[in-house]
Amino acid sequence: MITVNSLTKQYGSRTAVDDLSFDVAAGRVTGFVGPNGAGKSTTMRMMVGLTRPDRGDVTYRGVSYSHLLHPSRVVGAVLDARSMHPGRTARNHLAAAAALAAIPARRVGEVLDEVGLESAADQRTGGFSLGMRQRLALAGALLGGPEVLLLDEPSNGLDPDGIRWLRNSLSAFADSGGTVFVSSHLIAELAMFADDLIVVGAGRLLAAEPVASTLARGEATVIVRTPQDAELRRLLERHGIDAVSTGDQLSVRRTTTAVVSQIAFDNRIQIIEIAETRRSLEEILLDMTGASAEFAAA
Amino acid sequence: MTITTTLPTDILSMELRPQPTTRQRSDDVAALPAALRSEWIKMRSLRSTPGLLVAVVAIGVMLSWILATFVKTDPDTHLPFTIGQTFVFSTWLTMVLAIVMGALSFASEVQHGTLATAITTQPARWVIVAAKAVVSAGLGLAMGVLGMAAGLGGAILGGLTAGDMSGSLATAGWGLLLTALAPMLGLGIGMIVRHSAAAVTGVLVWALVIENLVKTFAPVNFTRLLPFSAAAGLLGIKTAGDSAETMAAALTRVQDAFLFSGYVALAIAIGTALLYRNDAS
Repeated sequence: MITVNSLTKQYGSRTAVDDLSFDVAAGRVTGFVGPNGAGKSTTMRMMVGLTRPDRGDVTYRGVSYSHLLHPSRVVGAVLDARSMHPGRTARNHLAAAAALAAIPARRVGEVLDEVGLESAADQRTGGFSLGMRQRLALAGALLGGPEVLLLDEPSNGLDPDGIRWLRNSLSAFADSGGTVFVSSHLIAELAMFADDLIVVGAGRLLAAEPVASTLARGEATVIVRTPQDAELRRLLERHGIDAVSTGDQLSVRRTTTAVVSQIAFDNRIQIIEIAETRRSLEEILLDMTGASAEFAAA
Repeated sequence: MTITTTLPTDILSMELRPQPTTRQRSDDVAALPAALRSEWIKMRSLRSTPGLLVAVVAIGVMLSWILATFVKTDPDTHLPFTIGQTFVFSTWLTMVLAIVMGALSFASEVQHGTLATAITTQPARWVIVAAKAVVSAGLGLAMGVLGMAAGLGGAILGGLTAGDMSGSLATAGWGLLLTALAPMLGLGIGMIVRHSAAAVTGVLVWALVIENLVKTFAPVNFTRLLPFSAAAGLLGIKTAGDSAETMAAALTRVQDAFLFSGYVALAIAIGTALLYRNDAS
């Protein structure tokens, strides 16, 4: 549905986006993740013609954004939820956008209703919370009944109810064939509803794959509590399995609970507790992007 | 707030959608009425717009009334002010306000991030510029009409006599041309500066200080070509920096109209080129 091809953008000597290519499939929610300064926002701005790429292009079913006759009927974008005049009401904000896109004025009321802002329709946006602004921005993206939603950090400022609503809504949108491309820092949140991930670091593509494939990168660790830890460790090493002693427990990598418990059973070693843990998506992504992070905590 | 709605799925049927239609050059021209409607909604939906019109009326009434009541005679000719003279005096200030309004019509969009929304909706950026120019020119025209009507009312309230009204209609016509062109000059300045406070300050300082200062030392053949000299010439009025020498060397109204229009065209052309060259924010 969306094809990003060799997208490159340089600001002075800094390469913000470096030969980025990926596809975003229809009918799926695709998360766009990477550390600060990875080039996510620049990429999204290039996807809707706000920033000119030095090289490469983006097409929507073969047509570039700037050549779409009615862009907002194909792509609904929210790149900055603060983009609204504080002195204008929500209804007028949307009415102006609808008029520019030649969208019937009745859609304004419909989308306000869809995002749950009908009661605030005639309030000036200057008094809106960030969550309300997010909803209004999303309403603007929905005005044209687009087939693609491009959202940059859409859950910022939303309360837990709002986040759940957004997650359900985007999933429903994708389930009905729509394309959702969403960047977020809330990786745990994204893991709950994204089907695919595009991972970038320092402007370069690090991975473009289903979330399940990313999760599979995180190897399992078996945690064993036993009063005979030294003995069990020796037995595991004899089977070619590395174990690390951490306090009163052993941490065993590249194996399963079944294998460890079988070895313990065969050698009459008492096990008090055994569990298998997997690394979270957040940990896996932090590992993937760590080397390319522009800003990192010491 | 508890939300129970979800995004609609009935508007989608994605797989059945035809291939997106490609935009042609003629489609951009056809998009102009929609862009005009959008700009009109933006303009009328802000409280500052009626506030501006009220300010124009208040300035028109007050200026004429003060001249009639307290100043009473023209300091140069020592003849009593007449309605035929004073009704247009406030138009110079109306023009300055119209330039500020035009500048803000663009710069405030940059400031609040709504320009990006407009450009993602209408990628042909010139369409947005053209719509802004037309709508702001219309509002400038309305400001001119109200300002002159208010100036007339203030002069009548102040008890001035009609005086020679033979050239008043022509003066009003040139004045309305000026107040219609002024927002477009402001729009161009706004597109170049892209910052509300800087654009407004720049316009006010240039109009009220710099140009008058330049007139004190620069040759008249140069100063008569300055934008606000052309504006004063269109209105047929003398401003603070004008002397007998500058008035004697003044251009004709037709020349002033071409000159002021040239400044407008230049500002819009530079602003539009920058809008195409720069990334939208």
